[in-house]
Amino acid sequence: MKTTIPVAVAFVAGVVLVVSFFFDEGTWVGGISQEFKIWMTIVGGFTILLGAVSITRVNWSAVQRKKEGWPYKLLTLISIFVMAIPSVLPNTWSPLFGRDVGSIYDWLFTYLDSPMMATMFATLAFYIASAAYRAFRARTAESTVLLVTATVVMLWRVPMGEAFLNMFPGDIPNWLNTYVMNGANLAVQRGIIIGAALGAASMSLRIILGIERTYMGKG
Amino acid sequence: MSGIEIFEIWIMAFVTLALFSFLYKDNPLYKIAEHVFAGLSAGYYFGLIWDTVIVTQLWQPMIGGKWELIIPGILGLLMFARFWPKYSWVSRVSLAFYMGTASGIFLTSQLHGLVLKQMQATMLPLVNGDGFGAAALAIIVVIGVISTLAYFYFSKEHTGALGVTAKVGIWFIMISFGAHFGYTVMGRVSLLIGRVQFLASDWIGSFSQIF
Amino acid sequence: MSFWDKMQNMDRRWVYLMVAVAVIIPFFATPDLPISITPEAQMLYDAVEAVPDSSTVFVVFDYYPSTIAECEPMAISALRHFYRKDCKVITLSNIPLGGPSMAERVTREIALEYDKVYGEDFVNLGYKANYVAVMSGMGTSIESIFPADNSGTPLSELPMMDSVVNYDQVAFIFEIADNATADYWVSIVNAQYGIPIGCGTTAVSAPKYYAFVGAGQFVGLLGGMKGAAEYELLIGHSGSAVLGMGAQSLVHLLIIFLVIVGNLGFFLGRRGKSGEIS
Repeated sequence: MKTTIPVAVAFVAGVVLVVSFFFDEGTWVGGISQEFKIWMTIVGGFTILLGAVSITRVNWSAVQRKKEGWPYKLLTLISIFVMAIPSVLPNTWSPLFGRDVGSIYDWLFTYLDSPMMATMFATLAFYIASAAYRAFRARTAESTVLLVTATVVMLWRVPMGEAFLNMFPGDIPNWLNTYVMNGANLAVQRGIIIGAALGAASMSLRIILGIERTYMGKG
Repeated sequence: MSGIEIFEIWIMAFVTLALFSFLYKDNPLYKIAEHVFAGLSAGYYFGLIWDTVIVTQLWQPMIGGKWELIIPGILGLLMFARFWPKYSWVSRVSLAFYMGTASGIFLTSQLHGLVLKQMQATMLPLVNGDGFGAAALAIIVVIGVISTLAYFYFSKEHTGALGVTAKVGIWFIMISFGAHFGYTVMGRVSLLIGRVQFLASDWIGSFSQIF
Repeated sequence: MSFWDKMQNMDRRWVYLMVAVAVIIPFFATPDLPISITPEAQMLYDAVEAVPDSSTVFVVFDYYPSTIAECEPMAISALRHFYRKDCKVITLSNIPLGGPSMAERVTREIALEYDKVYGEDFVNLGYKANYVAVMSGMGTSIESIFPADNSGTPLSELPMMDSVVNYDQVAFIFEIADNATADYWVSIVNAQYGIPIGCGTTAVSAPKYYAFVGAGQFVGLLGGMKGAAEYELLIGHSGSAVLGMGAQSLVHLLIIFLVIVGNLGFFLGRRGKSGEIS
């Protein structure tokens, strides 16, 4: 029962969505399929909610047991509640509640969460510069091709570099766009897209037919 | 610039500099910002899903008469069974629905929307009135696609014709990954420029208002 | 230890400092540089120009706050372009962290420039979980997937949405993404419903999407901050992306310099001489 019911559910749900692809939206199959899609958004929402609750539980447990670094985890917990609680209260009580512009939720996102996330990713510029200096080596013929292409593309994509490339004859920027980006690069990306899509389709078929069950976990 | 606006800019500048401080070395200020970020993000997820999914998508239509929505509601709640090991298997039913429906959409859309369309775009007529350049490009693309697929085909040993084709694929892949690296550098630098634009214009600009 | 060996062992923080200096200088001494327009950006601009005035269009905010520097200038330019054409703009997001909030803020800010009214000229649908279901479900009925907008107002109370049932009434989708959601707009929406899609994406994702442009699945492409700068120039409204091109140039040149110095150090230093190079 622990495996049969889930496999049956995945089969029915998958088959309905596959079959509906071949029918008009107004048919009964189309109707069921649309209803399933609405259900998907709801179940999908719960999975994200599960993640948020899980983070809260993990941090709560660490604070209770006074694990190493627990004051920081307490800060995480406080941040979760300060953000979440005002957002679930109705904005008819106060404009500070809810999620609209002017609410606590929106303020905390705009002035704390958003700049912090942007900064965390901005630090990657320093790391990639350091990595380029330390590890980007022309050790073999293949890595030399990679290095030369990267360098020329870096030049081409900025005004100063493009001005430099234009000092040479042969309209190098246009050649790069045509034969590197829309030639070799496009071909490789297309190969990867086709390969990955075939993989995704076959994995989907395995899930629908109950051959692939690893998503259920153990037990 | 009002006092509140200046305060907001300084808050943003403070968290920006706190996170950049990690570049010198790990420190408590960075750790505080990092943990506040994690908490606020989790809180954001909760608030958003509560409002847009639980209230708007589930509860309101349900009390408005769409009682069939109780099914996804129950499926969603069953997800939380994962917190109790004895009953965690129950959450498999919800997960199976999620995976089954997503697979149903994927199976058709990946084949119809990606595989067929991309293959169709690869098989182009060589004589198309666009001259030698276009024909050469079409040949490059065909060779590149086939050799890339050959390189990533691991079910057979890369010897003989497959080995040669895969070898050609490596050269194509190196060019593409080189371009990718160049673009990645560009992307990461752009993100840094965004933060520096804020610090250089908004934050330093606020100095004249205060001092 | 030779000079080159010392260079190889340089503290990484010196590299960080060089990057910081290179990115800051252009903000105080802005170089005036010509920015060329790539064919992909021109194609996107032309495709938007070809959308009939007053049509209903989607502007999709599929990016996280992390890539705001690259994606927001694209979103702003797209909105300006559509508002100028009196298009009815529907925004939504498949990103659970910040997408709907950024869409709300940006759309309202730009709407003020063109005297656009919420509910009549633009609507923010907000977010719903599970983007494959959202994209696929809107093909039948937008209202069944989004019963209310981002603020909780039922779609039936928004005049603009009276005439919009599903993709049949949507003339164009301008997708701004920093992740794989763009792939699904292609494989689900463009492939099954035939709606033209233009994509603005981060530089990291851009090389992949040349394959979609080549297949006609995207009508055009903006790659990274340079792509955003190109679109700003095309619509004749320079913004933060054009401003950032000076710093972008200088840091690229610095990184190329570092790569050359790093390789010279490697070949001329101890490791190169000891035959470690294969």
